Amino acid sequence: MTLNVLLAAAALSIPLAAMAAPAQVGQAAPAFSVTDTSGKTVSLAEFKGKTVVLEWVNPGCPYVVKHYGAGNMQATQRTARDKGVVWLSVNTTSADHRDYLAPAVMSGWMVQQKAAAQHTLMDTDGTVGRAFGARTTPHLYIVDGKGTLVYAGGIDNKPSANPADIPQARNHVLAALGELQAGKPISEAQTRPYGCSVKYGSAG
Amino acid sequence: MTSIRTLAVLATALLGATLAQGAAVVTTPQVRAELIAHAPQGVAAGAPLQLGLLIRHQPHWHTYWKNPGDSGLPTTFEWKLPAGVTAGEVQWPTPRKLPIGPLMNFGYEGTLLLPVPVTVAPTFNAHELQVALKAEWLVCKDVCIPESGDFSLTLPTQGSSVAHAAAFESAARALPKSLVEARGAAHVQGDQLVVRVEGLPADWQGREIDLLPETAGVLANAVKPRAQWVQAVWQAALTLDPQRSESPERMPVVLTRAGLDAGLAVSVQVSTPWPAPAPATAAAPAAVAGASPSTTAAPAESLPAAATPAMGWLAAALFAVLGGLLLNLMPCVFPVLSLKVLGFTRPGVDRRALLTGGLAYTAGVVLSFVALAGVMLALRAGGEQLGWGFQLQSPAVVALLAALFTLIGLNLAGVFDFGTSLPGNMAGARGRTPLLDHLLTGVLAVAVAAPCTAPFMGASLGVAVTMPTAQALAVFAALGLGMALPYLAATAWPGLTRRLPRPGAWMVTFKTLMAFPMFGTVVWLLWVLGQQVGIDGAAALLAVLVVLALAAWSLGSPGRRRKGRLGLGAMSVTLLTITLAWAWPSWRIAPTTATPSASAEAWEPWSPTRVSELQSQGRLVFVDFTAAWCVTCQFNKRTALADAGVKADFSSRGVALMRADWTRRDAAITAELTRLGRSGVPVYALYRPGQPRPELLGEILSAAEVRAALARNAASRVTLLEQRP
Repeated sequence: MTLNVLLAAAALSIPLAAMAAPAQVGQAAPAFSVTDTSGKTVSLAEFKGKTVVLEWVNPGCPYVVKHYGAGNMQATQRTARDKGVVWLSVNTTSADHRDYLAPAVMSGWMVQQKAAAQHTLMDTDGTVGRAFGARTTPHLYIVDGKGTLVYAGGIDNKPSANPADIPQARNHVLAALGELQAGKPISEAQTRPYGCSVKYGSAG
Repeated sequence: MTSIRTLAVLATALLGATLAQGAAVVTTPQVRAELIAHAPQGVAAGAPLQLGLLIRHQPHWHTYWKNPGDSGLPTTFEWKLPAGVTAGEVQWPTPRKLPIGPLMNFGYEGTLLLPVPVTVAPTFNAHELQVALKAEWLVCKDVCIPESGDFSLTLPTQGSSVAHAAAFESAARALPKSLVEARGAAHVQGDQLVVRVEGLPADWQGREIDLLPETAGVLANAVKPRAQWVQAVWQAALTLDPQRSESPERMPVVLTRAGLDAGLAVSVQVSTPWPAPAPATAAAPAAVAGASPSTTAAPAESLPAAATPAMGWLAAALFAVLGGLLLNLMPCVFPVLSLKVLGFTRPGVDRRALLTGGLAYTAGVVLSFVALAGVMLALRAGGEQLGWGFQLQSPAVVALLAALFTLIGLNLAGVFDFGTSLPGNMAGARGRTPLLDHLLTGVLAVAVAAPCTAPFMGASLGVAVTMPTAQALAVFAALGLGMALPYLAATAWPGLTRRLPRPGAWMVTFKTLMAFPMFGTVVWLLWVLGQQVGIDGAAALLAVLVVLALAAWSLGSPGRRRKGRLGLGAMSVTLLTITLAWAWPSWRIAPTTATPSASAEAWEPWSPTRVSELQSQGRLVFVDFTAAWCVTCQFNKRTALADAGVKADFSSRGVALMRADWTRRDAAITAELTRLGRSGVPVYALYRPGQPRPELLGEILSAAEVRAALARNAASRVTLLEQRP
């Protein structure tokens, strides 16, 4: 009797245990494997040895539009690529949300914006978003060559929808990449992301 | 005015979110926003004056609080006021929690007024007050739209403006109330922020409360706080944001209660220095491009900073085996096992059956330990504040165990017999599946032995709960193995059992004798239940046990005829059902007033803030982490801690004595135990002034040990004094 109860409780608790906490700076970044807008499977592991930036994107979000409209996100992407950094844009919009864009449309938007991301990942079921704890668009993460998460936070320190704020803002991602390249500790490794909520599906 | 408004509507309809120049009202498809004023005595120095932005949201659209939560942005104000007129801070009304998927926001729906108090200097002497405001807000439903508006308003200085008095009044009612007497303190504990708030109003006490932090970037907003009341103190364990960006020393929070418009504003002082937000330096030297693949070993899972006793898991497992061995001597385990060993002397038991029985028993013990540990680890991962022995923190479980032990005791005493009472097929099943019987004996032994950490176990288990799950479970399995070892040895080498006397009449006597330790265990369990739910609950349990005994006797008394058995049985089972239905509720309501051991002379209830307070006064603090269901704790309390010499030393050295009672679940105590690297009681901690980490004394406490620890402190203080110039 007691044993049965215990076993039942243990069985119930397995989903709890399996539900990992979101990624933490200083620890291994969660591994993932997901298809990009062209249908190609992309995994974090294939970039081992290289620094990877993950950028949460949703063209339906005014804060994303702020940074793409002003060319700030694309400039950040180019600077990163010039340093040999891999840039992955991630769209975690659920297919039933009005902001959802089919892969081809999403890909077209990135081209139109002259974005410099190597891949745009379609994380429609939210697996990657949940693993990293992505909350806003934009929300940025940097994974170093060892696979350690070294930065989590906002694109910059001016939380507004106004593109005029960009020139005065500290671009956290460029600052962190610079420090990483110089072998220095990242001075602001965790900052506040700002923007629209990531449009996770209603499944939770 | 109307034409301007119409223009504004037109403009916003065309452009979505745009600005309307110089109107009091801005309307967008999502909100209608209006700049309003309340100046009952006109505009003059010393006269009350409030401005405010009145936002009417379209259904399901919302704007945000000063801390918007996981996404969103607070509404911002940029005033243009004449010289001598200054706007104060926004008086944010109590916000609502707005969940979206796995995220949580804080904000407002419906009608919202954001009032701003305005002060007027005596130098201001215009006839009119010209107010201009640029406000920006983010309005969201399933999508978000940043909007802004330029507002203007002209107020006569002489006349009174009270058209919006009702709106300002209701905003004032929804403002979180500041309480002078409410004090909040918090400390970081692993991935949790443990908050304690004292001095909350009487009508809030014992109620379910939620906490909304004004500081963004600290807490995981979507995780519900684990909260409880300990007398008049509200305690909550809040999960920290794993990507926390802020480390405030003071955290203003708003406490909310369902059904109340206004929350309470409490300032929470964070005592522990915040752990470094990110150990990113370790990973930094890797060049941006081209780290060598050979150095890509996954980083080891790091222990929480608080629990780093230098004990590897193998050592922990070894100690667990030793601790398990000692568990056999627990007063409630010994009779169960001695009965099993009695079975060896039954004639016709062959060696092989004996050994398989021993192995089944071992499996039962090990599996139970692993299952219990698995449940505990899983619940902890889910944010519960639990520690070893948690199962006895539930009054229902204690009552169930008391009933079980009563039945075992009655059976041993010969009041009833399973063979006659159980329907034939079930009794046969029991006989046919001796393996299951052995297995269940193992489960039973664990159920009664696990709550009290025998020596060596405390440290092992404390380390175990901080380990990766697989290793932790291995340590718990080692504990079970240790416990099962003596019995297993007896079954493997029957030579040992041959030393037992030959079967005979003495066996009946011994069996009856063993009933009494069982009843003794029931007394202990009753006392535990009494501590948890009070004397009414304990009396209810006694009543249930009496009727249970009656039922057992009616159904199972040997030699009763079938007719009598049926009649008496039906009656007693009915009676048992009624008694249970009556008693059950009294085991579920834990009284908040009972202070189990606080009444004892000098001992005051434990509180972490009080400990640091006393430490800063230069006092020694001795904390007894205890629980009513912990036998070792009670033993120490009545021996070492009751020792005259120890008491004398306590008083002569001015030691502050505190008791942390873990009989019921208590998040703050669990958190402190975790910090000390333990997961169960007893723990005896001596906190010295100026040292955050206390000295831990042994779990089987001796008077000499306590006195030596106190004396050590005196010695070190003398040296300190001598070093001073």
